[in-house]
Amino acid sequence: MQVKVNEKTIEIFAGARVRDVLRKYSRAEWTLVRKNKKKVTDPYGHEVGLDGELNGGESLVIAARAGAEPHS
Amino acid sequence: MKRALSAGPVLRRLFLALLGVFVLSSCVSMPSATTGLPAPAAPAEASATSASTRSSLTTESTGSHIVIFHSNDVHGKIDNFAKVAAILDAERKSGADVFFFSAGDNFSGDPVTDLYDPPGEPMLELLGRLGLDVLTPGNHEFDYGMGAMRKFAARFPTVSANIEPRPGAFPELRPWVVLTAKDGTKIVVFGLIQIEPDNKIPSTHPDKVKDLRFSEPLAKALEMKKLRASGQVLIGLTHIGHEQDLLLAKQMPELDVIIGGHSHTRVDPAENVNGVLVAQAGADGFFLGRIDLLLKNGRVVEKKGRLIDLSQARDEDETIKAMITKFHQNPALARVIAKAPLEIAGKSALGNLMTDAIRQAHNLDIAFQNNGGIRLNRLPMAITINDVYTLEPFGNLIVQFDMTPAEIRSLIKSSWEKRLEIDLQVSGITYIVRIDSARQVKDIQLSNPDGSLLAEGRTYKVGVSSYIASSYKFAHQDPGRSLQTTVSEDLIRYLQSGVDLGVYRDVRRASWEIAAKTSRN
Repeated sequence: MQVKVNEKTIEIFAGARVRDVLRKYSRAEWTLVRKNKKKVTDPYGHEVGLDGELNGGESLVIAARAGAEPHS
Repeated sequence: MKRALSAGPVLRRLFLALLGVFVLSSCVSMPSATTGLPAPAAPAEASATSASTRSSLTTESTGSHIVIFHSNDVHGKIDNFAKVAAILDAERKSGADVFFFSAGDNFSGDPVTDLYDPPGEPMLELLGRLGLDVLTPGNHEFDYGMGAMRKFAARFPTVSANIEPRPGAFPELRPWVVLTAKDGTKIVVFGLIQIEPDNKIPSTHPDKVKDLRFSEPLAKALEMKKLRASGQVLIGLTHIGHEQDLLLAKQMPELDVIIGGHSHTRVDPAENVNGVLVAQAGADGFFLGRIDLLLKNGRVVEKKGRLIDLSQARDEDETIKAMITKFHQNPALARVIAKAPLEIAGKSALGNLMTDAIRQAHNLDIAFQNNGGIRLNRLPMAITINDVYTLEPFGNLIVQFDMTPAEIRSLIKSSWEKRLEIDLQVSGITYIVRIDSARQVKDIQLSNPDGSLLAEGRTYKVGVSSYIASSYKFAHQDPGRSLQTTVSEDLIRYLQSGVDLGVYRDVRRASWEIAAKTSRN
């Protein structure tokens, strides 16, 4: 199935969770999310859990967490 | 707040009168007769909760005020239930008409609940004490099998409109229920469950739902428009994910509220979409959703929803807290499930054990396990469930790819290039990585257990962890599919099957060599 992360289309296995598609999208971004320096939201700005189950065609956005230092 | 199931008002009143313990203030009616009685709510013990859990409605309450608390995707995590109980109890004491809904996936994700005997019992007991009014099954409600699901549904009103059981397979399920508030307000609640686009079943192991048929949730929801006339409030209690909930709201303005689950989305405050309030309360029991409805002249005139951050809640119900403590002392976790004639030690032996378990569980040709996912150096001779979860603590799911030998080589090559050493343990085949003097891969030989080479024209059923599936770069025409079990679950079943563990000595199925000279890693 296909899921978009920050507008980039990621091909991922059916039944994948948010953490799976993030790992495939970018190791560096996944690390920042895992360390709670960034968060994952749906296109409407609602934060989603890393074990959230995905349907094909969904979109995710990786965003800075409020109060977190910018990543250099 | 007490609720009872019944075939109709007369039977309901008779039943409740005989019981003599319920206040006849509300009821649930269903599309057809049923048995089963939700457990009474916990006795009032908690003190008033913090102001942050109170209603945010500002309209003068000359009409009917209904409060619906909701949770979803708790996934077996029971630790915050004492706080939930205190919040519900305080609201009930205030005289509000309080309901508690679950949008599915109460099971699967925490060994305290998953490995209890019987599985899921802590969740059933606690939700009973909390006074759950209605549940829609999530895909993981089926993970323990239909027996556990039916036990759940016998205890709580359970709704899903797009599950169509074969006759007798799931008689407790209803497409919808009508809850009746103290003042007679009818709240109609129908359920929906997600299905996978390819196999048209929810995301669980297919064997778990083989006696059920499923239809497209959004199409089925349109048939529920007829329920608008059956009550003053119409609610979709869904487990289809937030994006699907938004589509549902757009196609069905007849709804007052959608309470959702599945995508683990933290919707705070609840959104008003096409006049429909759309809510979801994150996951893992960190938040409790609260919806306030104000009705006047038989219709909803104001509605709001928000999340209560349970990490900020102070009060706890002491009875529920004691139950949680008891459930955490689950003796099943420390019970010996297998005895080996030797300690199973080292990445190769442990990897062989894990991959054999995966391969057998799913009837695969080949299974791989990465070394980084093997978190113990050795298993003791007396192996407990705790040992298994320490060996593989990540909860990675098994993913199947149908792969050619060339694709399998690309996976092994990718793994070698991560650390320039053997990284993938294997079951079903052996392999040799041939490298040059700069440790670059020149060739990978794949052999069957009898020593013959794999057939190049054939496709093999290969199982890997979701970590490998998403982190390793390898060629695969097949996009793959989750098999909806974890490595730990497969390993527990394998160990409990009585398999001979004496074979798990340091036998290496994966090796590397330079030129013609073999060197073991």
